[in-house]
This record gives sequence, structure tokens and C-alpha cells, in this order.
Amino acid sequence: MALSMLAQESGSVTSEQIEHLHRRFKQLSQDQLTIRKENFDSIPDLEFNPIRGKIVHAFFDKRNLRQESDGLAEEINFEDFLTIMSYFRPIEMNMDEEQLDRFRKEKLKFLFHMYDSDHDGKITLQEYRNVVEELLSGNPHLEKESARSIADGAMMEAASICVGQMGPDQVYEGITFEDFLKMWQGIDIETKMHVRFLNVDTIAHCY
Amino acid sequence: MVPECFSFVIQLLYFDMTSDLEGDCWLHHRIIFSVGYPFPSQGIIERDETPMEKEIALLHRADFEFSHIFYFCRKGMEAIVEDEVTQRFSSEELLSWNLLTRTNVNFHYISLRLTVVWVIGVVVRYCILLPLRVSLAAIGITSMIVGTTAVGQLPNGRVKNYLSEVVHLTCSRILVRALSGTIHYHNKENRPQKGGICVANHTSPIDAIILTNDGCYAMVGQVHGGLMGIIQRATVKACPHVWFERSEMKDRHLVTKRLREHVADKSKLPILIFPEGTCINNTSVMMFKKGSFEIGGTIYPVAIKYDPQFGDAFWNSSKYNIVSYLLRIMTSWAIVCNVWYLPPMVRKEDEDAVQFANRVRSAIARQGGLTELPWDGGLKRAKVKDTFKEEQQKNYSKMLVRNGSVGSLSAETESD
Repeated sequence: MALSMLAQESGSVTSEQIEHLHRRFKQLSQDQLTIRKENFDSIPDLEFNPIRGKIVHAFFDKRNLRQESDGLAEEINFEDFLTIMSYFRPIEMNMDEEQLDRFRKEKLKFLFHMYDSDHDGKITLQEYRNVVEELLSGNPHLEKESARSIADGAMMEAASICVGQMGPDQVYEGITFEDFLKMWQGIDIETKMHVRFLNVDTIAHCY
Repeated sequence: MVPECFSFVIQLLYFDMTSDLEGDCWLHHRIIFSVGYPFPSQGIIERDETPMEKEIALLHRADFEFSHIFYFCRKGMEAIVEDEVTQRFSSEELLSWNLLTRTNVNFHYISLRLTVVWVIGVVVRYCILLPLRVSLAAIGITSMIVGTTAVGQLPNGRVKNYLSEVVHLTCSRILVRALSGTIHYHNKENRPQKGGICVANHTSPIDAIILTNDGCYAMVGQVHGGLMGIIQRATVKACPHVWFERSEMKDRHLVTKRLREHVADKSKLPILIFPEGTCINNTSVMMFKKGSFEIGGTIYPVAIKYDPQFGDAFWNSSKYNIVSYLLRIMTSWAIVCNVWYLPPMVRKEDEDAVQFANRVRSAIARQGGLTELPWDGGLKRAKVKDTFKEEQQKNYSKMLVRNGSVGSLSAETESD
């Protein structure tokens, strides 16, 4: 069946988890074959999230969907939905060094794409400011200036980690993916950036 | 009564089967496996319940926004995979199958024996139980209309009240039998008194019948057309129910005023209100609307919990209309529920209506074994109110600014 093939491709996701995700997909898409951005409006829990827009955007980002072309997809089908969900797979016990590294890079790439909205492979100061403004968008009392200064301060920190001491003429263009990786060194996100399904065992009543 | 006997026999058979199973567990095993993988109603993903501040503090390094986006990203994904609210508006999933197709979400063909048992079940339910129940329901409704109209002709007085009580109770009992209802009432000493307000959690339109089976209440509700309208007009002659026109419902002050007048008169029957405003699937209690708690008077909370093994009482009004809902109820095995009368509560001096509502809600949820959710039942149809969203976002930005402004201040002083 198609679902079992998908299970094999996605690695560790079990077939019952896929079935649950499929049911959820059908609920979101209202029984259509594809989901559009509007379908995500029906989730109350998501409304509270300040970066809701970016998360929904990430589902339609062709780079995350591992497609060759660039830009945004209009709608996604269940296979694409699973592809995005696979970025949030929990870590497995039997992974070796190389797999762990690849795992980690994939998750970080997903985050990187969230920041890099113009798809040029670099997070510029303006893009960073956009993200901070969005995070703080709910608070009407916060002036734009404070949001800016927070962004600028953090960008300078990032520059010092990635490039070291800059000369007075140097302009920091933006954070590339390699720099991004450097910044996250030491924080083990692969144990935190996942959605873990509860292990539901069938109840054995026989003795 | 005949259908009650039948459902009693069915219940016996069912228990018999399951107890047989300790020795010969083929059927139970099959029943469980036929459901597939049971998902408990609490949810299927492991959620990290650490509060936002703590978790962000853990991830806090100099480059704080990166860790924040990461926290919100995960929360967003969790919400997309499963959200607490929407799952309350669909029927609860059972751990083991009760031989009704409708609860068999993941259907696998298991064995011939099980299918035969199921077919026998279908025949019994549709051909024997259903006609009996429908005829009983018809008798019940007709006698209610006729009886209350007859009593309504009498002049107001003690005799009329007594007779109206008799009529209401009898018809209610007939209707409960028509649904093959087995109700256990607990703590009857706390039963609502005259001049009080009875509040309960809402799962289906049957809730009202279940409560009136044990006592007389003044109902509150909108005027409907059709059969329901006839019943409403007939019953209001015998007993002072409070029926509102659709236009009156919009005017909250009018509603509160009328209810206040009713409550002030200590000789009138207690009013029955369902403050959630909509049907929830009986695994949780959602936000109580504060209107009922502003009227004053004594509140008598009641918790109603249905046993899902025998039949699903939840009315999913977006999926089924009332007729198909009643048909489903009448072709289930039975309606088994527990009703707990809780001790009366009064609003304290320093409490406002919202806090009082939450206090009552916690008491009901605790007694019934239901989870409490702060969400509004109106989310079934509408989106989250903007005011809630802003609250949440304000919290987050307050915290960010506290951390962030410290960071940026130090950066500024360094560059000076």
C-alpha cells in the first residue's frame, strides 16, 4: 500500500503514526487531496503563535519540500506534508555519527530557511529584523526602535562568533548556512526539535 | 419495560463475553485488534509542559532570538499535528470495540466469528430495539403534550403545580426508557432546590431529559418551530419554563432580567442552564459563559458523565442533524450515565462572575473525571478572539523585552 512505502522512505515513522497524520491531513484539508495556506486557519492553538506566518510558509517553501525549483508552492499533498513533518522526527537510538550529523543539519536547514525569506542563502540584517518584529508583533507598546536595537545587537553577536573581529571597513553581509551551523554548535537541538508520538501499546488482557 | 429488558440482556451478554475472555481471550483480543491502535483521548503526542519562560531560559544564550524561534516552531508543529480543541468536537475513541460500526474507526477484518456476532448485534439493534424505542418515544412525547395542555387548563395553585410535576416526571421517565437509559444518581441530598440555578456540562440534547428524570426544573431556551415548538408551548402552560424568542436572546440584559425575576421568586422551580453553550464530547469541560453566573442566587452544579461503551451520546451538530442523531442514539446498546449532584455554591464577595464560573467548572470537572480546558465552546464554529491572541503575545513580548533590553543596553554601552 502507498502508506507503507511512505513509511519506508521517511525512515522511522511507523505506519500507525502515518495513519494518524493522514487523518489529521484530511481534517485540515476538509477531505480534499491538497492543503492550501487557508486550511491552517482552522487551528485555534496556532493562532497564539507569533511566528505562525513563518511556520505555515515553511510548509509551502519549495526548498523544504526538496524540490529542484525555488519559490513557493500553491498547495501541498499528503506526501509533501509528511516530508515537512519528517524534519521533526525524534532522534533514534541506533543512529551513528554520520546519520546524527545529517539529521542535525537537516533540522538546522529548516530553521535557516525560516529566516532567509528571499532565498538567497544568507540571512541579512533586514531579514533578521523582520523575524524579531514578527516575534514581538503582539505587543503594541513596544516601539519599532527597541525591536530594531534587539535585532542589531543580536546580529553583532552573530558576526563576532562567525567572522571574529571585523575591521572598521568590513561590512557583514549576512549569515550563511555554515555560519549558522557554527552558531548552533554546542546546543543539541536534535533532542529538542521534534514531535514525539506517544508509544501506544495494545492492551494485552490475556494471561 | 420491554426495551429496557432487552438492553439489560444485551449488557449481560456483553459482560459475559468479556468475562469469558479471561479464560478464552480470543474475542477480546480480536475486539481490541479490530479497532487498530487505541489512542487515549488525552492525545497522541508527548507534549513538554514546561512553561514558556523556563524553556526559553534554558535555551538562552547571547543569541536569544534564534532559540525563541525554535521554541515557537516546535509549538507550532505540535499544534498542527494535534490541537487540544478540535479533538473535543469529535467523538471519543474507545479502547475496545463495542460492536457498533460507528466506533470502529480503523476497520480490519478479523475473523468470521466476530463478524457473525456483529451481524447479530445489528439485527437486534435495528429490528428489535429500534421499533420498540421509537414507539415508546412517540408515546412519551404525545402524553407530555396532552398531559401538560390538560394541566394547563387548571387554575394556578398547589394542585396544578403538583399535577404538573407528576406529568413532567412520568413523561420524562417514559422518554428515558425509550432511549434505554440507565442513570445512576449520586448525592441526591444535594439536589437543586426551588429558587436556585442548576448548571451542568453539556454533551447532547438528552442531558435535559436525564436531569428531569429525577426532579422538576424550569427549562431555559430559545423558542423553536415544529415539534419542539409544540412541546414548548404545551409545557409552558403547565409550568413556568422560560422560553426566549430569537430576538430576545440577543439582548443579554433582557435575558438576565427575566432570569433574575424567576430566581427571586422562591416558589418557582430551579432553572436548568448549560453554560458551555454548545455540545462537547464529554471528555472535557470548556469555558463557562459568565452570563449565567451574573444572575445571583445559589448555584447547584451537576456533573454528567456518559459511559461510552454502550453508546456515544455526543451530538456533533456539524456532522449530524437532530434526526440522524436520535436514530444513532436509538440504535446504540444503551445510554448509561452517572449524574453527580454537587453541593451548592454561592459567589464570594471578592469574586467576579468569571472567577466564580471557573470555580464551579473545576468542581464539575473534578467530580466527573473530565479535563478542564480554558477554551470557548464557540470555537467549534468561530475563530479565536483577537483579545485572547493579544494577551498571549503581550506576555511573550514582555518577557523578551526584559531579556532583550538588558542585552541591547549592554551592547550600546560597549560601543560608546
